[in-house]
Amino acid sequence: MNIFFRELKANLKSLLIWCGVMILLIMIAVMKFSAFAGDPSMLAMLDAMPKAMVDAMSLRAFNLTTVSGLFGIMFLYFGLMGGIAAAMWGSDIISKEERDKTVEFSLVLPVSRSRVITFKALAGLVNCIAFVLITWAVSLLAVQKYNPDQAFNQFLALEMEAMFMIELLFLAIGMFLGCAMKQYKRSGSIAVAIILVTYFLSVMAGMDAKLDFLKYFTPFKYFDAGALFHTGKMDGGYLLITATIIVLCIAGAYWIYNKRDLYI
Amino acid sequence: MSKNIFLHEFRTRLKSVLTWSLGISALILFFFSIFPSFAEQAELTTQLLSKFPPALLEAFGMNRMNLSTILGFLSLVMVFIQLCLAIQASNYGFGLVSIEENELTADFLLSKPVSRARVLTSKLLAAVSSLLVTDLVILLVTFISIILFNGGRTYELRTLNLLLLSMPILQLCFLSVGLVISLLVKRVRSVTPYSLGLAFGAYVLNAFAGVFGDVKLEYITPFKHLDPVYIVGYAAFNSPLVLLNLAISLIALGASYWLYIRRDIPAVS
Repeated sequence: MNIFFRELKANLKSLLIWCGVMILLIMIAVMKFSAFAGDPSMLAMLDAMPKAMVDAMSLRAFNLTTVSGLFGIMFLYFGLMGGIAAAMWGSDIISKEERDKTVEFSLVLPVSRSRVITFKALAGLVNCIAFVLITWAVSLLAVQKYNPDQAFNQFLALEMEAMFMIELLFLAIGMFLGCAMKQYKRSGSIAVAIILVTYFLSVMAGMDAKLDFLKYFTPFKYFDAGALFHTGKMDGGYLLITATIIVLCIAGAYWIYNKRDLYI
Repeated sequence: MSKNIFLHEFRTRLKSVLTWSLGISALILFFFSIFPSFAEQAELTTQLLSKFPPALLEAFGMNRMNLSTILGFLSLVMVFIQLCLAIQASNYGFGLVSIEENELTADFLLSKPVSRARVLTSKLLAAVSSLLVTDLVILLVTFISIILFNGGRTYELRTLNLLLLSMPILQLCFLSVGLVISLLVKRVRSVTPYSLGLAFGAYVLNAFAGVFGDVKLEYITPFKHLDPVYIVGYAAFNSPLVLLNLAISLIALGASYWLYIRRDIPAVS
C-alpha cells in the first residue's frame, strides 16, 4: 500500500499538468462553438464535403451546430491526450526506478516484484480514472449554458467510457514496455513511436478506402465517435481486441519483470 | 564554441537523428502514395466548395485549402511532419543540459576549462545541426515524392521553399522553449513526458485553429504561427506570427543562457 500512495503522490504533478491542457482544450473548443451554435448554413456546407476530406480534417459527419456534434469531434483529441498521458504514466512508473537508481532499494524491500507492479499499476489506474472524471466534469460544466439534453449526457458518458478504454490500453502497453525494455531510455522512445504511428494510421485509415484495413491496427479507431453516436454503444469486436491486448500486455509485464535482470 | 563538446553531442544524437529522419521519410512517402487517388476526389470538392459563400468558407478556414494540388496536399502532410519535428526538437531541448544532471556527468563536464556559456553554445549548435540534418533528409524526400507522385503537374517552387523553411523555425522554437523549461524546473527526471506534453499539447490546441472562426487563445501555439495551410493559401508567411515565434525563441534562448550560467548544479555525492 505504501508503494501505491508513494506513486500517487509522485504522479500528481503530471496529472495536474495534463488536466490543465485538457481544460484549456475544452475551453477553446466551447468558445469557438459559441460563434457557431444553431447556424444551419454551416451544416449545409459540411454535408457537401466528401468523406475523405472530412476525415482528413477530422470533422466527421456530425451536426456541428449541436453540442453533441462538437463533442463528437472533440473525442479524437480526448482519446489522443488520454492515450499519451496513460502511455507515459505506464512506462515511466516502472522505468523511473532504474533511471533514478532507486530500483535496488525498492526491490530489496520485503515485497515481491509482482506486488510492486500491482501497486504501481493501481496507481496508474487511479490516475487514468481521475483524468477521465476531470475531463467529464469540465465538459459538463463548459456546456451548461447550451442546456444539453439527456441524449447529450448519455453520449458524453459513452465517450468517457471509450476514452477510459483507450487510456487502459495505452497504460497496459506503457507498463509492458517499462517492464520489458532492458534499457530504461528505450521504453520512453518506443512508447512515443507507438503513439505517433497509431495516430498517423488513424488519420490515413480515413483518407482512402483502400487503406480502411488500417483501422484494426490503431486504438484511436477502435472507438469511433461517429459509431458511438449512432449505435449508442461500443463495438463488441473492438472491445474484445482491446481487452485481449490489455491482458496480454499486463501478463507479459508480470512475467518478464519477475525474471529479468535489472539495469543498474 | 568547443569542438570536442560539439562533436560529442552530435555523435550521441546521430542514432536518434537517423531514426527520426527515416520515420518521417516513411510518413511522407506513405502519405504521398495516396495522393493520386486523393486528388481526384478533392477536385470535386473544390468545385462544390466554390459555390458556397466566401464568408462561410472563411469561417471554416477552407477558403485557402485546395487538396487537389500537390502543395495543398503537402500542407496537410506538413502538419504531421511538423508534429514529429516538434517532438524531436523538444526532446533535444529538454535533454540538452538536464541529461548531464541525470546521468551525473554535469560536474565532470563543468570542471573542464570551458565556460558555461561556451558549453551551452556548443551543445545548442550541435542540437541545431542535428535538427538541420533531419530537415535536409525531409527536403530530399519531399522533392523525390513530388517527382514520383505529382504526375508532372506544375507547382510554385517559392511556396514549397517557404513550407520547408517553416520547419527549422518551428524546431528552433520547440528546442529553445524546451531548454528554458528544463532550466526553470528543479529537475527534469525524464525527457519524454515533458516533450510529448509540450509538443502534443501545442498540437491539440492548434487542432481547432482552422475551424469555427477566430479565437485569440490559439495564438499561443507555435503550430499556428507556422500554419502550412496559411503558407500555401497566401504563398507567404503570416509575418506577425512568425516574428512572434522567432521572438519567443530568442527570449527563451536568452533566458536559458542567463539561467544556465547561474544554475546550481548538483554534484555526485
